Amino acid sequence: MIQQSTSLLQRIAKTHLALTLGLLGCSFLLSAQAEAGEKYAVRAGTVHTLAGDAITNGVIVIEGGRITAVGSADDVKIPWDAEVLDVPHLEAYPGFVEAHTSSGMDRPNESVAVAPFLNVRDSIDPVAFYFEDCLRSGVTTINVQQGNACIIGAVGMVVKPRGMTVEEMLVRPRSGLKISAAPKSGMSRATQAQTLRATFTGLRTHLEDLVQQKRSGNDYSRREALYQGRDLSGERGKGRAMMSKGWTVEGLELVPRGEVDEKQEPLLDLVEGRIPAWIYCGAPMDVRLALEIARDNGFLGRTVLVLDDSCWKAADLIAEAGVSVVLDSTLVRTETDPKTEEEEEVFIPGVFKDKGIPFALSSRNSSTESLWFQAAMCMAHGFTRAEALAAITATPASMLGLEGKVGCLCPGAAGNVLLTSGDPLSVTSFVEYVVIDGNLVYDRSTDIRTQHLLEGVVPEGTESHAEEPEVEEDTRKKAGDEGGSR
Amino acid sequence: MHLPETTLASVLLVGATSGLFAATAFASAAPSPLTNGDLVAVRAHKLHVSPGNVLEDATLLIRDGVIMQVGDDLKVPDGARVIEGDVVCAGFMDPWGSLGMNGPATVDMSTNAATRAVDGVDPYLHPWYRHQALAAGVTAVRVQAGMVSARGGVGAVLSTAPAEDLKSMILLEDSNAAAGLGLSSRGNPTDVFARISAVDKLVSDINSGRDYAMGLAKYAHELEAWNKTIAEAEAKLEKDFKKAQKDRDKEIAEAKEKGKEFKEEKYKEDKRPKPPKPDAEDAVMARVASGELPLVVTIHRAAEMRELLKGTARFKRLRLVIAGGTEAEAVADELAARSIPVIVRPIPLGANRPDEYSGHDLALAGRLADAGVRVLLGSSGGGSADLPLLASLAIGHGLDRDKALAALTTEVARTFDLSGELGSLRPGRRADLLVLDGEPLLPTTTVRYALSAGRVLISPDSRD
Repeated sequence: MIQQSTSLLQRIAKTHLALTLGLLGCSFLLSAQAEAGEKYAVRAGTVHTLAGDAITNGVIVIEGGRITAVGSADDVKIPWDAEVLDVPHLEAYPGFVEAHTSSGMDRPNESVAVAPFLNVRDSIDPVAFYFEDCLRSGVTTINVQQGNACIIGAVGMVVKPRGMTVEEMLVRPRSGLKISAAPKSGMSRATQAQTLRATFTGLRTHLEDLVQQKRSGNDYSRREALYQGRDLSGERGKGRAMMSKGWTVEGLELVPRGEVDEKQEPLLDLVEGRIPAWIYCGAPMDVRLALEIARDNGFLGRTVLVLDDSCWKAADLIAEAGVSVVLDSTLVRTETDPKTEEEEEVFIPGVFKDKGIPFALSSRNSSTESLWFQAAMCMAHGFTRAEALAAITATPASMLGLEGKVGCLCPGAAGNVLLTSGDPLSVTSFVEYVVIDGNLVYDRSTDIRTQHLLEGVVPEGTESHAEEPEVEEDTRKKAGDEGGSR
Repeated sequence: MHLPETTLASVLLVGATSGLFAATAFASAAPSPLTNGDLVAVRAHKLHVSPGNVLEDATLLIRDGVIMQVGDDLKVPDGARVIEGDVVCAGFMDPWGSLGMNGPATVDMSTNAATRAVDGVDPYLHPWYRHQALAAGVTAVRVQAGMVSARGGVGAVLSTAPAEDLKSMILLEDSNAAAGLGLSSRGNPTDVFARISAVDKLVSDINSGRDYAMGLAKYAHELEAWNKTIAEAEAKLEKDFKKAQKDRDKEIAEAKEKGKEFKEEKYKEDKRPKPPKPDAEDAVMARVASGELPLVVTIHRAAEMRELLKGTARFKRLRLVIAGGTEAEAVADELAARSIPVIVRPIPLGANRPDEYSGHDLALAGRLADAGVRVLLGSSGGGSADLPLLASLAIGHGLDRDKALAALTTEVARTFDLSGELGSLRPGRRADLLVLDGEPLLPTTTVRYALSAGRVLISPDSRD
């Protein structure tokens, strides 16, 4: 049952209820069964909750999409009416969290440079191959944000890789506004900074104009809002004093919020701290501008920096500002001395760890340099397992305001469970099953793409392709080069 | 001979504290962090206080990065780090450079009058690039976003001392406004009529800047008058309030008596004056028109220069600076009369020279100087480290040596309002100076020490 109503979106956002799914074309994406209140249980050889010690022979009980109990099979009783995934040979982990990506959209960027009024909701493609691949790589929570080539980008949203509509995929609407401190093409750093500042000055001027109009008894903005048929009911019909840690416009309580220019509204939400900012920095010098813009406009406390790998040089500034960061997929950067051409390798997560800056790892896309691989790289460079796993679970979850809701297997969290054949940070283990909100959504034994790639199993109805041995050899070689596709 | 001391007290302080530094002063010849109270004495056979003003066997004392005393009869305080050399002069300044800027910002064509060069400054540039410039003796560079754009925005003067802290790099964050006229680069017209109309557009921009400033002044004036009128009216109204109350009661009673409706008397007053709409670009051009910011115009051809000089003659406070000026000889008399400096780039140009350099001549700087024009020498963003060598080329082609030194020091400081801080070795100036093994700007002379704010950043040990 798919409802096509606007209230649906809000309803899901509030309750995080899983809705019934329509069937998907691919056979491995199992059609979902769980209705609200339906029960699901997983029994695994080891349950890694990432919120305490691992549990041998553990049980996870999920009701209505959420985990209600986790513990040893001796302690936790599986409800009689729960559907059980009994996999004592597998290990259970929480689904991984992608803190920031521009994948899964029709296209990552708009040609409009300053576009706070756009929302990625209109661009997310539920049947994008990216989301399918997320399941293979164990990524179950994804913050989709507009690409870095912008000045002010769109409002992003958090989704799960499951569902035929954006509404079904929704985890959290309005996960923040994308901003770039690095120049959009055709701009330079000087003009980017100028435009970025001017955007906030523009918001301020607009609000001051509205207040001025109201004070002089001019109701133009109301008539305009009426003409355009905007929502002026409830809270939107009322004025509210401006609440900001940056600057404020006296008398904004005179202006019903529904009369504020819709194109400016997400910016006002940002300045008033209602939505976070995700600011891209393409070079260390951009960090200063990003922090200046966030500080001056009062949203530093709700800012996450999305960093290019070169930005490790500005780590001191970042630590001083106390903001979190999302790292580029390049974890080892080679710095070359311009004179001696001597090369120095910098392990970037190490720099941020040493400075005490909370950081999330990110994938280039879901399969190459995926989250598990990035975490494994961190362990290879001396991180503990807990530190490496936190950078793909708990840390990104807290950046998204989903602390305790995703990224751990604990009561109250979403029922997102990976069942792996071994250590998820090892190239020799696989994600065998993925459970999202208490629904089994991925089963590797029926994943025809993986089977074709790794075992040469020819999918039904594609015989003609299998007869061309060159293609198959190429495919296998490629899979080997990439260290195993997951 | 003895140049004036800043204060007697500070000199006494030098003596009193110098002993504390005896142990550490000689610790290192490599770049040393500036600690409060660092004391350095520089001794030289010849000390160029400013071009043409030379002290023999002189000493210069630096404390906290500032020149304290200069003289030929100074005693070196105990504990001071002593640097000795043949010749000492002020650090060179490149008035037309790009060192320290993020590359694309300098060639951005979309800049406008309000674009700020400091936004394009990259503090994370590898220190080696700045080290190169310092090793050549260049201690400061004026930079510009949009060097070839029609409007370059607000330029800045940067120190070449390597630093990751942006603030410590910036010597002046608003040294000038800038415009480019008739440049052959992408986006600029090269047609002669288009070039002339671009000049007229610049003149009209200066004019609207002046109008904007006048509008602001008028608003301030009107607001003041209005405030005064209102305050007076208010005082009078309060004074007459009781009478007004009585009158009102009386009128109400009268109206009642006559059976008429009481009509309130309408209060009238002047409207509060409205401020002009804020405009960032006009605000910069207003500062240009008032002479607060010099306007650096990159321009090469005589026809446009004539048009520019003609168009701007009525702005008496405008401070024009010409950059490039390939054909500036044609208007040398007027440039001299109006004291308009020309930043010349004395470089041998090969086959790839831009169109506007077609009349290029290495003798330009010398000829302009001979005609009484104030000459500055700049790299045009082509590498500040080469500037001292370019200056010696200009000297070889007729530029007087003292004038060449002035073109890299005092004239630059004067043009961009930094005479109080930079350009000469007088007490109170920032200690940006060079210790040389020969006369400045000779091709055979090398920089033995370069100091930036009193820090020794280049020394014989640090050179490779």
